[in-house]
Amino acid sequence: MTIRQTRRARRTAAALACTATLALIAAGCAGTSGGGGGQGSTGTKAKPVTITFWHGWSAPNELAAINANISAFEKLHPNIKVKAVSNVTDDKINQALRAGGDNAPDVVSSFTTNNVGSFCNSHEWVDLNPLLKKSGIDKDKTFSKAMLDYTSYNGDQCSLPLLGDAYGLYYNTDEFKAAGITAPPKTWSQFEQDAVKLTKSEGAGYRQLGFMPLYHGYETTTEHYAAQYQPTWFTADGKSAIASSPAFADSLKEQKTLVDKLGGYQKLSKYRSSFGDEFSAKNPFETGQVAMAMDGEWRVSMIKADGSKVHYATAPLPVPDNQVSQYGIGYQTGTIAGIAATSHKQAAAWEFLKYLTTDTDALVSFANAISNVPSTYAALKSPKLEKNAQFQTFLNVAANPGSNTTPSEPNGDSFIVTYQNLGYAYESGKVSNLQAALKKTAGQIDSDLAQAR
Amino acid sequence: MRTPRAAAPPALRRKRRRELATTAGFLSPWLIGFAVFFAYPLIATVYFSFTHYDGFNAPTPVGLKNYVYVLTEYPFFWQAVRNTVWLVVAMVALRTVFGIGIGMLITKIKSGAGFFRTAFYLPYLAPPVAATIGFAFLLNPGTGPVDHILGRLGLPQPGWFTDPSWSKPSLVLLSLWGIGDLMVIFMAALLDVPAEQYEAASLDGANWWHRWRYVTYPNISPIIMFAVVTGVIQTLQYYTQAIIAGQVASGIAGNAGQQFEPGYPNGSTWTVPQLVYNIGFQRFDYGSACVVSLLLFVVAMGCTALLMRRRSGLMAED
Amino acid sequence: MSNTVTAGDRPGRTSRSGRGGVPSASGIALRQARRRKKLEWIAVHSVGLAIAVAFLLPFVFLFLTSVMSDSQALTSTLWPQHWVWSNYTAVFRVHGFGTWWRNTIEYAVLGTVLTVVSSVPVAYALAKFRFPGRRLAMMLVISMMMLPPQVIIIPMYLFWAKQLHLDGTLWPLIIPMAFGDAFSIFLLRQFLLTIPKEYLDAARVDGCGEVRTLLRVVLPMARPAISAVALFQFFYCWNDYFGPQIYSSDNPAAWTLSYGLQSFHGAHQTNWNLTMAATLLVMAPVIVVFFFAQKAFIEGVTLTGVKG
Repeated sequence: MTIRQTRRARRTAAALACTATLALIAAGCAGTSGGGGGQGSTGTKAKPVTITFWHGWSAPNELAAINANISAFEKLHPNIKVKAVSNVTDDKINQALRAGGDNAPDVVSSFTTNNVGSFCNSHEWVDLNPLLKKSGIDKDKTFSKAMLDYTSYNGDQCSLPLLGDAYGLYYNTDEFKAAGITAPPKTWSQFEQDAVKLTKSEGAGYRQLGFMPLYHGYETTTEHYAAQYQPTWFTADGKSAIASSPAFADSLKEQKTLVDKLGGYQKLSKYRSSFGDEFSAKNPFETGQVAMAMDGEWRVSMIKADGSKVHYATAPLPVPDNQVSQYGIGYQTGTIAGIAATSHKQAAAWEFLKYLTTDTDALVSFANAISNVPSTYAALKSPKLEKNAQFQTFLNVAANPGSNTTPSEPNGDSFIVTYQNLGYAYESGKVSNLQAALKKTAGQIDSDLAQAR
Repeated sequence: MRTPRAAAPPALRRKRRRELATTAGFLSPWLIGFAVFFAYPLIATVYFSFTHYDGFNAPTPVGLKNYVYVLTEYPFFWQAVRNTVWLVVAMVALRTVFGIGIGMLITKIKSGAGFFRTAFYLPYLAPPVAATIGFAFLLNPGTGPVDHILGRLGLPQPGWFTDPSWSKPSLVLLSLWGIGDLMVIFMAALLDVPAEQYEAASLDGANWWHRWRYVTYPNISPIIMFAVVTGVIQTLQYYTQAIIAGQVASGIAGNAGQQFEPGYPNGSTWTVPQLVYNIGFQRFDYGSACVVSLLLFVVAMGCTALLMRRRSGLMAED
Repeated sequence: MSNTVTAGDRPGRTSRSGRGGVPSASGIALRQARRRKKLEWIAVHSVGLAIAVAFLLPFVFLFLTSVMSDSQALTSTLWPQHWVWSNYTAVFRVHGFGTWWRNTIEYAVLGTVLTVVSSVPVAYALAKFRFPGRRLAMMLVISMMMLPPQVIIIPMYLFWAKQLHLDGTLWPLIIPMAFGDAFSIFLLRQFLLTIPKEYLDAARVDGCGEVRTLLRVVLPMARPAISAVALFQFFYCWNDYFGPQIYSSDNPAAWTLSYGLQSFHGAHQTNWNLTMAATLLVMAPVIVVFFFAQKAFIEGVTLTGVKG
């Protein structure tokens, strides 16, 4: 797919080369330090420049969408060719940017905001503030505050939001009807009851499971559960608050309750090993293996693209029984994109990044194609933005002031991984004293942070 | 070793110098390789282990900080050490015993020896990544044939790679499947046991245990020693199978947006070499990674020294 | 398949112990001994057969799964309902699969050739030259052979990636093989020790220099050891996962089969049928090579443990 499109783009590029839109290139060129990469300053003989773009998308509909965006960009900027590399992880970004060299990317993106602290703090990704200013973009009027927060670290705007993600509940409406459930659960105790009602055992396994609570059950991760409890990850003086903020103990206990009520760790673990790939038509919610799922907004378009026959609706995820007024919140994150400090083609890279993150048409068509939450005010207001009731749930979650995300730390997502490990141990019954384990985990996070400084 | 030089006449000295030059010429590829790919990196590892280095900012000296961090704070260190010791003991012991057993079996087999040898040897050749993914599938509790068959037979169905108490035994099973290398070594050693000694033993009315204890074992014990020590060193390097098994069984593919930390399930498959990868190439704390490297180096070289002392034949001159 | 070195090649050895009884043995004792032998034959062969089946069954299951449909591969049934041979062509259509093959072959072939060319003279010198420090040199070779690759990976990575900018390629793995491989040197030396000095002396008397002695006399005699070393190195490169994971993983154009297979599994996570088809395809060349070079291979393994 990628190859075909690049080839087509190349032909187009050749055809348009003479009538290049010089103004844009020149503007890009004037922009930054070290830039250029062969773009002549006069522009009369602008040499084509190829930039490498690393992204994490891999599902067919997502690849089609991002490649369509790239083609559109290449049409606008015939002198810039974009070589896209898909399915790239943060580890690889970190490694390649440290090494530099020809294979390193120019424009980079990541699916999570977890590593923003590390990307900014290490200056692996360049500060975009001067570039935004030069291009006359007022970031506060362009992007929502929550998104600007999670794309920057200590005032260093080293990345920009490229569509956002919000988490909610998907539920199978046929199964709800069959089980006599009239409305999606608002509290965790209602959720427990519904999950049990929707579970049909069969022998030593399940014919259908109400909900897969295990932390390895795709999106049911520790931090997504915790978000429903509005956690405080770090104290004001930068120490881990995992042992002091009740959100963590409460969410861990709630998940353990679900595990126990739905059949226990062993049985669930075995059932989980029969699930198909998360990002394929074999996703357990799409196949009906589970009746409820904690998932991101992208599932709406995936269900459509995969031709799944499941009838479903969406709702915010439940909240603790004593915080019903907070119902409507959820975990929030987003794809972020930035420019590698090692890139020698920063002008062209900025053109591309600017297009991806601020061009309203590009954002809207991309958001429509992969049903992600648009990341600029203009795109959110665009009449071209397709809306439907299921997707609207996630737009609401994203707009809810109580929705939250994991903070940025200089050693990236290390603290989340450490907390996840506690979750794995706890769900499998390996932890007898939870409070002591939380204290130990908090101490671990603190010493890892100290080591990274 | 050294020949007295003063006594040598000039012609002989010239000849010796020429010989030395020839030797150096023949050895030159290795001399360069030794300096660039062994001596230099070892010294550099020691240097980095005393610095804080993230790959961006120049290394800064931090004294013993990395050592303290790795030994007392880094969460997976002792777990990985315990797992590695467990694997070394279990794998080396079982592989050696099984290797001798298969070796003895194959020397006794008269019909279709070629078929049996190939069958026992073939799995050893399967590339580790492929073999591990294959095993992870065979043992996958939800879809794999092994638990399916065990269930049919009314036997318990373990969680294998997904169960912390079964994951290491599953790796041992995988290593027994690849017994081919030891089989061949023991087979050759067993065939070299002089048949007269067996004859003499049976004349004395020796039973199977006596035959093993007084004939077979003394004859093959140097090979057992060799197999054990090289087995220990190999298992200290145990990496690919453990990381792949954890990754496949966790269902976390390590794709974009999903950070995979080795050790699944519950850290039960962490091994020491994976620590170097995790600290160095996932956390980018090169200094602390070098600390683990050095500890691994000390243990591996200890074993090597033992091997060289006990099997001086390895360095025999003729 | 039967042309390997084992019991079959040395018929006298194992059977001698059972060749009839002592002169004083009575006919009954002889018959008993025969019956015992027969029982032993049955026992040995049935145990052997059971283990052989257990060793081969995994391959059978992997194969059966590789021809199942997507949805059947997610069930625990054993026999394919429909034989979906197109899984194999589907694997070849996976983006990058061809590149992984090319890279792996390039790595394995170049690595093997460089290793052999650079290791033979070193092994020859260590086996046949007398020079001060050769015992120390041998100790160092064994130390290098036993060194876990993870020990020196950090400085080596920084050297290749930050100094030479060769990360994202396989060169950091191939180039070192031009400077002798410790295991190959060790194995070749063990073999060369067994070449009688007289042959070399004869060559030298004929006026051959050391280089010509090596090329004319030693190389032809060392053919079995060289083919064993070449095979080992080929398999080592083919199977290597850690090296490509460190050096070439950030550039998909430089992935090898081992690394690609792991990521293939990631991308098609529980499409077990495709994963198994790819897995078998990665195993195939190794197995084919083995069938052609069984003898050299088994001799090589024996050499590592028994000689010297």
